[in-house]
Amino acid sequence: MNIFIQQSKAEMLRMFRNPYYIFWSLLMPIVFYFFFTKVMNVGKDDPVWNAHFLMSMTAFSVMGSSIMTMGIRMVEERAKGWTTFIRVTPLPSLAYFSAKIVGQTFVHVFSVLVIFITGALFNGVVLSFGEWILSGCWILLGSLPFLGLGVLIGTMKKVDTAVGVSNILYMVLAITGGMWMPMDILPKTIQWIGKSLPAFHFGNGAWAIIRGNAPDLMNIVMLSAYLVLFMIISIYIRRKQEAV
Amino acid sequence: MLNPIVEINDLVKEFHEKRAVNRVSFSIEKGELVAILGPNGAGKTTTMLMMLGLLRPTEGKASIFQHEPGSKNVRERIGVMLQEVSLMDGLKAKELIKLFRSYYPNPLPMKDLIQLTGLGKEDLERRTEKLSGGQKRRVAFALALAGNPDLLFFDEPTVGMDISSRRLFWETVKGLAREGKTIVFTTHYLQEADDYADRIILFKKGKVIADGKTEEIKRKMSKQSVSFIAKEDIQRERFLKLPFVTDLMEKDERVYIVTDDTDAVLSFIYGESLPVKDIRVEKGRLEEAFEQLTETEEEAI
Repeated sequence: MNIFIQQSKAEMLRMFRNPYYIFWSLLMPIVFYFFFTKVMNVGKDDPVWNAHFLMSMTAFSVMGSSIMTMGIRMVEERAKGWTTFIRVTPLPSLAYFSAKIVGQTFVHVFSVLVIFITGALFNGVVLSFGEWILSGCWILLGSLPFLGLGVLIGTMKKVDTAVGVSNILYMVLAITGGMWMPMDILPKTIQWIGKSLPAFHFGNGAWAIIRGNAPDLMNIVMLSAYLVLFMIISIYIRRKQEAV
Repeated sequence: MLNPIVEINDLVKEFHEKRAVNRVSFSIEKGELVAILGPNGAGKTTTMLMMLGLLRPTEGKASIFQHEPGSKNVRERIGVMLQEVSLMDGLKAKELIKLFRSYYPNPLPMKDLIQLTGLGKEDLERRTEKLSGGQKRRVAFALALAGNPDLLFFDEPTVGMDISSRRLFWETVKGLAREGKTIVFTTHYLQEADDYADRIILFKKGKVIADGKTEEIKRKMSKQSVSFIAKEDIQRERFLKLPFVTDLMEKDERVYIVTDDTDAVLSFIYGESLPVKDIRVEKGRLEEAFEQLTETEEEAI
């Protein structure tokens, strides 16, 4: 157990020290948030819309670091031989892997707190205590399929490919998921595509919570289905790679 | 040969129908300091990776401490330095060593490990990606020793080290061997094997072509000869029937008697008063013999 705790701590430290994390997962969402709510003033100071967009940006942040950090790290560590080296130490592969998820989740807790506090303090977003907690938990749990997608990207051979692919997926998911602008103003086809991808369902759960509703059952079903799908594909690819 | 620490039997590894390792067998006893020597592509690293359980043999079997390589029991008792493995980034050298200590049931004290890296206080607080190549190798060395292992594997350990790091490394390794640790390393430097190993296992084209005490291997490899200009014809058989003569060659009017005992050849020539002049004794250089014996092959992988 001690091994696992130490390993999770190390993974957490590594993420916090990563300048890309600070930039993409904290700075970018906060800057976007202020840009859209204050400078562009899209929602005309509507408090619901401010809270809605705060959820979008938090989801955007956590989704990004799930896809990018996880996947790129895995490819990098394999390319640098670190993954191989771990196999001759007593650290079990499962502990090595799950420590990454635990470490990452702690970092996500931090991201959620920072972005929520920024919204509350500087944009006067008011939610009930329960809504804050529930929406935060939804975003943490709902990020699982994106971690799964990260693991899938993690099976790629080259770091450059992984970086490119994960960036594109991240942006496409964010836009079609209605994280940058509300779903209803997007063209019909894009809406239709967005609704069959996991990002919309991720955001939608949080948007429901801040409006005092429960997340749609469909959101939960879609997110779970994508998690299972990504896991199955990753396991399949890993098996094929390890057959050598 | 009661309790070999490492035992490999008829090991074969094929990559895409190409044999990188071809029926290799040997065993290593406790306390041995063994060099696996050979040119690049001879199958040294492949063999080591199979000993570590990182590659599955196509045929044959490897066992360590009479266990399956790669089992938890084995992993707790070995220390490894692989080629081309960088350190986990984002952690300070000291943090990484501390993390590694937590993997093992009986780690070496932090203070000893820090000493092994030879890094100063400042460098220990630097993140691993900011260290120089040589410093990284030294941290990797400390990581290999973190669990106070009984058995150590080093794959081309000194590649990328400067001369002083190299010396420090080997001095430490010698000390570990004196403590009774078993050490296996691969190298393509004959000098390194000769200077530090008690035993050399010589690889060529995926096979073991010689295995023995360093001294023996050296004797086998270094050819000596006595050469002269013959004033009259001398029957070849007169030399070839001598037990200490292995071969006879003629080149540029000179006759070369290849032998492992030049003194005996000389006393034979004088004793028989053979009609020869301009006698020379030549000792082949070890490096040349090594090159001849192993002739660098193209990479097997």
